[in-house]
Amino acid sequence: MVKPPNIARSKIYILLTIMSWFALLFVDLVRIFGEINQMEGVIKREITWILEIIFFILLYLFFNNSINKKENSNFLNLIWRAASTGLIATGTSFLIIYFYYILQDTRLSDDPLLRNFFYHVNFALTAIFLISTALLWKHLILYQKNKAVVQQWQAYEVILLISMFFVLINQESFNYGFMFGLIFLIIYGVILSVNLKWIPYLTFREKWKSILFLAIIVFSTVYLLVQLVSYTQKNVHFVNLSENLFLLGLFAFVLIYAVFSFLVTLFNLPTSSVFEQKLTEAISFQKLSQSIQPGENEDQVLDILMDSCMSAAYVDAAWLELHADEEDRRTGTVLYQKFISNGERQEIMDLLKKTEPFSAYLKSQTDARIEYLYGKISHEIYQSVLIMPVRANKKILGDMFLLKEVKDGFNKEMINIISTFVGQTSISIENYRLLNEAIKNERYREELEIAQRVQRSLLPSALHHNRCFEIDGFSAAADEVGGDYYETFRFDQDNFALIIGDVSGKGTSAAFNMSQMKGVFHSLVQLNFSPKVFLSKANSALSRCLEKNNFITTTYYTVNTKEKTIHFARAGHCPTLYFDKEKNTCRFLDIKGMGLGIVRNDTFDQYLEEGTLVYHPGDVMVMYTDGIVEAKNKNGEEFGYENLRILLSSIYELPAHEIRIKIIEEVYSFVGKETLPDDDYSLLVIKFKA
Amino acid sequence: MLSINKASERDHLVIALNGEVDASNSVELDEVIQEAIADNAHKILLDGSELEYISSAGLGVFMSYLEDFNEKQVTFVIFGLNEKILNVFHILGLDQLISIKNTREEAEQALYEA
Repeated sequence: MVKPPNIARSKIYILLTIMSWFALLFVDLVRIFGEINQMEGVIKREITWILEIIFFILLYLFFNNSINKKENSNFLNLIWRAASTGLIATGTSFLIIYFYYILQDTRLSDDPLLRNFFYHVNFALTAIFLISTALLWKHLILYQKNKAVVQQWQAYEVILLISMFFVLINQESFNYGFMFGLIFLIIYGVILSVNLKWIPYLTFREKWKSILFLAIIVFSTVYLLVQLVSYTQKNVHFVNLSENLFLLGLFAFVLIYAVFSFLVTLFNLPTSSVFEQKLTEAISFQKLSQSIQPGENEDQVLDILMDSCMSAAYVDAAWLELHADEEDRRTGTVLYQKFISNGERQEIMDLLKKTEPFSAYLKSQTDARIEYLYGKISHEIYQSVLIMPVRANKKILGDMFLLKEVKDGFNKEMINIISTFVGQTSISIENYRLLNEAIKNERYREELEIAQRVQRSLLPSALHHNRCFEIDGFSAAADEVGGDYYETFRFDQDNFALIIGDVSGKGTSAAFNMSQMKGVFHSLVQLNFSPKVFLSKANSALSRCLEKNNFITTTYYTVNTKEKTIHFARAGHCPTLYFDKEKNTCRFLDIKGMGLGIVRNDTFDQYLEEGTLVYHPGDVMVMYTDGIVEAKNKNGEEFGYENLRILLSSIYELPAHEIRIKIIEEVYSFVGKETLPDDDYSLLVIKFKA
Repeated sequence: MLSINKASERDHLVIALNGEVDASNSVELDEVIQEAIADNAHKILLDGSELEYISSAGLGVFMSYLEDFNEKQVTFVIFGLNEKILNVFHILGLDQLISIKNTREEAEQALYEA
């Protein structure tokens, strides 16, 4: 269904209302004309009543529509609207009286038609005033509505509607039925008029204004009632429009509600400051409890705290002193000093240090559990003092000093409310700190993830080899990042370099050293040194960058696939496991060696040895880090060298990739699912084919 | 789990390690040795008979004091290591730098000969 726009609707209402009024005027004038000229029964009086009802209903609809649109206008505006309408209606009535005063003694002044015309004008304005005011009252009554009140109001609207038609049923005026209806409407109006929840929300000034407006409304209502009734008594030829239950009922309702509001507002005046105070406190609470946004300052909350406490207890002067704190550089600073000079503050501080019970607290600060200190001081201006420690995370953040000029200036309620403010502030600050910490941790975690990604990329994704051998590698870190390292390098068709290393320690520091090792490898490998020279150069380089208690173990190999030789040197790294196909033996290549960074001088060479091997197709070389052999199961037993050796003896037939997978599987199954790996595992398997 | 006992005997200091030395408690070992050096101990005996495990971080502690021992002419002897740990020292090459003996007697002898 298409809904016509609101503006058009209100225009239609205006038009229809005016038309119905003119129709009413015309009908009534015709009737009076007929009455004067004794022409009975030209137009029945029922038509007047029906037109009157239509006029009322249209007015009601129009105002209901127009007031609803301005739903969020404040109370004072609403009352002013009613009062101004009342003033217009009253003013017009006065103008009419003045008009007749001028016309005194002319024939026109006795003319019943003219008099009736003005009566209709008066009637229309009164009806406008009453209906619009009743609908404004509706808004006030339904402020903070509940279901019961809404139902009451809806019932009232229905009753009003019925009362309009009452005139058609009950044609005799002021009989019992009419009186009963009127009394019923009045009582119902009284019941509705108890809903005055809006009044406390007015400020002191607004209350005064509304009292004035309400007085105007009461006056206008009474005057208009008297005015309408007086027409009835003065005139002979007359169409009585006011003898309508609806109109009189509305009079009663508007008047009763205005009088009630007037009286309640008047009696609310003295306590209004208390209500305002409570409202401010509630708002302060809300401000304090809103957690501080990340990036904002705690000072802001402390500022709100100061302001709230000061206004809650009518404090004359105050300051907030922050305690010395290792983390915070604002040690012992005075933050927020309100309505007090530095000199005065110092003066009072000295005084407090001499006065019990403050002196003990201020000197030692030991009794952290104290909630507040309250007492009087002998100062020329300030008579009472309240000290409130402000806490966060169980530590005292600082002390708030509140001063009042009167003696015994703080009562229990004030201290209670201030305590609650302080508690709320603590919570806000704690939340703020927790949030900041959480954000920081989140950032660390992200950084670590980046580190992990970067480190992953430090391990080679593809290993150099040619058709003479297969190679396969694996590495897993116990923490996010690890200290294991392996890499290959190809000099030419037949010559390769291999390295496997393990940095002491684990985690981030190991990861950093591992990347240094990678740098050293890539710098030195290109110079094509023999393994022993390579390691002593690496030692020399790393000795300059490793921390005092850090070292790196590594084994460096050069492989020549043309001559089928391997040269290698061991810098403290786990001895390489070698399977010799021809002899069918599996052994560790244990040569003399020394970890890089342990001996940081020229004597390092003397601890090194260089080994040489000639390999044959089918030989397998397994390079690994200590994580593999030292992997522990839940009984604390290590996987060990022997297990590794026996394992290789049984699987040497497999291709390099499968040997690698098998070894890792075995290690993991040895460790078991319950135990977390506590070291980095790395493994490099080479199988020679030709 | 690591407990460290320090005892003075004759002219030397005996540091006994009991349990496992890993990255989390290597600092304790470091402190003890640092203290010993600060106290001008010239003969230090390390009793490793109750040592069950030592990680690279723990080895790093010994390594970092090698130079100090040389400079201050401190004789540092380790004894009683089990086979596994001895192997760890051997693989890393530390046995070439630190005097490691099997028994307390041998260790004391080495301490007072030097």
